Amino acid sequence: MKFLHLILRSFFRSKRRTVLTILSITVSVALIAILQSVLATLDGFANNPDASNRIVVRHKVSITNMLPMRYEDWIRQQPEVEAVMGLQWFQGVYIDRRNFFPNFASEAEYVTAIFKEEIVDYSDAQYRDFLRDRNGCIVGKALADKFGWKIGDVISLQSEIFPITVRLTVRCIFRSKRPADEMGLHFNYKLLEEGVFYMKGRTGNFFVRVRHPDDVPKLIERIDRHFRDAVEPTFSETENAFQLEFLKMMGNYTTIIQMITGAVLVAILIVTANTMAMAIRERTIEISVFRAMGFRTGQILLLLMGEGVLLSILGGVFGLGLAWAMAGAIRNVAGTFLPYLQNFTIDFGTMALCFQATLGVGVLSTFIPAYRATRRPIVDGLRSL
Amino acid sequence: MNGEPIIRLRRLAKSYYRETLEIPVLQGIDLDIPAGGYYALMGPSGSGKTTLLNLIAGIDRPSAGELDVCGFALNGLDDDELAAWRSAYVGFIFQNYNLVPVLTAFENVELPLLLTPMGRRERRERVVEAMERVNLMDRMENYPRQLSGGQEQRVAVARAIVSNPELLVADEPTGALDAKNAEEIMALLEGLNRDLGKTIVMVTHDPKAAHHARHQIHLEKGVLDRTVEVNR
Ligand SMILES: Nc1ncnc2c1ncn2[C@@H]1O[C@H](COP(=O)(O)OP(=O)(O)OP(=O)(O)O)[C@@H](O)[C@H]1O
Ligand SMILES: [Mg+2]
Repeated sequence: MKFLHLILRSFFRSKRRTVLTILSITVSVALIAILQSVLATLDGFANNPDASNRIVVRHKVSITNMLPMRYEDWIRQQPEVEAVMGLQWFQGVYIDRRNFFPNFASEAEYVTAIFKEEIVDYSDAQYRDFLRDRNGCIVGKALADKFGWKIGDVISLQSEIFPITVRLTVRCIFRSKRPADEMGLHFNYKLLEEGVFYMKGRTGNFFVRVRHPDDVPKLIERIDRHFRDAVEPTFSETENAFQLEFLKMMGNYTTIIQMITGAVLVAILIVTANTMAMAIRERTIEISVFRAMGFRTGQILLLLMGEGVLLSILGGVFGLGLAWAMAGAIRNVAGTFLPYLQNFTIDFGTMALCFQATLGVGVLSTFIPAYRATRRPIVDGLRSL
Repeated sequence: MNGEPIIRLRRLAKSYYRETLEIPVLQGIDLDIPAGGYYALMGPSGSGKTTLLNLIAGIDRPSAGELDVCGFALNGLDDDELAAWRSAYVGFIFQNYNLVPVLTAFENVELPLLLTPMGRRERRERVVEAMERVNLMDRMENYPRQLSGGQEQRVAVARAIVSNPELLVADEPTGALDAKNAEEIMALLEGLNRDLGKTIVMVTHDPKAAHHARHQIHLEKGVLDRTVEVNR
């Protein structure tokens, strides 16, 4: 501990260099923390515990092919099934593309049964109004608040997939456990069937609610086996797997994010290594004097590595602080483009991971020049004027 | 002088190698220095004075021969043992003072004590004592850049003696100082030898400085030429 004082004094020997190095680590760590949090947030969608007893059925060929609506009759008869609902991703634009939120044409009478975990709190009277009104819609509280919608307001959504615009009356506003689950809108499926001729009796997906999560694998297997030889065979998977597939349509973001993270880590490594190599080189004589006085190799390493570790600790802490401060802004800005980021947070696990990586890089980048300094003969160091 | 040799060199040799070419720097050095001795190491540039001093101080290793210093056969010690030995027995004084610029005079002098199990209060007492010895009580909180060359070297002397080593080695301690400051440092070293019984080995070019020592050792092309007693 008596060495800590020495480490601190050396640390601020060249204040400007120290500050600049810490700043560059700070920015890099903030970038890494944000990228990794994006990854963690997206992964969260594919690991949603609330979806553990839901199955999504789609056309075997692709996510954009449609299935006959009548398939749901057979599915509903399976003993493990609690509820089935036809659902079509509508991709309706509200005024401007930037106002993006997920909206679906759903079989209205099953919406609350299927999404029991998301549509938690609503008034029965409002829900009845929604069922009665073919042009009605049910929206999450957060979404309604965002655009200032109230019961009875009329909104129009222009689909980017289908050649129609629907005019919907807000009939029911629901609350969820998490704000991110309150960003969806469901409207009556019949509206899509009437407006788009080729959607008559057809739907993109069935959402199936299974009574017990343990039954999910065998039900998936049975559904696909049953429709295997049909003209339109099915592909069933857990909702989490389906979400992952959907996310992957945005590109292989995992690889991209990990590559950027790797590159930034390398950049930190180089910056820290360079700073420490300079700091150590200009102190060659001093280090030799310490060693002549009797400081042992381990003690010299401790002194020098302490500085590198301190650099990375400070850069890491400031970087995580910066990322944390930016999380709110990212939620608000990026969340409108990418609804998946509406519940973007920088969680503790990600912070710990980033901090460890930064520390590891700090140790690594200091060890090499520090170790070399201790290997050099003392008399050489003293002569290096 | 107590008479017992504190430094005992036998057939000591040191060569440097440039690729496969052997460059002999010291050859067949036999030397006994008694405890409490004050020796000036003299000779032309490149004769091997610094090399010999570094071997005696245990910061370099001989190519051949034996050296016993302060009761230890240095060849038998590994690097960490040698470091521990230096911190216990040797104080260093350099031509360029070599103080740590980011530490105050006090903290510079305290450095060698950080290697001992001493507590903070005891360290402080020792530092104050050493600073009194070099008469710099009023400069303890100054940084090296706030001191004159002569003052810096006095701080360096305080640092060399603070852990109370038996042996002081000094490589041209007055080489960077003007005559007046050089005289002061010489008086300091003489006092350390006379009053505290420190054994001192000092490399110097300066005949005036060498005159303060009790013996002068002359090196010529890596060989011990002669040792003479200084008449006063
Ligand atoms: N690391 C080294 N590699 C090769 N040769 C060296 C090395 N160190 C010293 N020498 C050579 O050893 C010889 C003696 O050097 P040393 O420094 O001991 O001389 P010196 O008597 O102290 O000289 P000066 O009075 O100039 O300080 C010189 O010729 C020098 O070039
Ligand atoms: Mg020399």
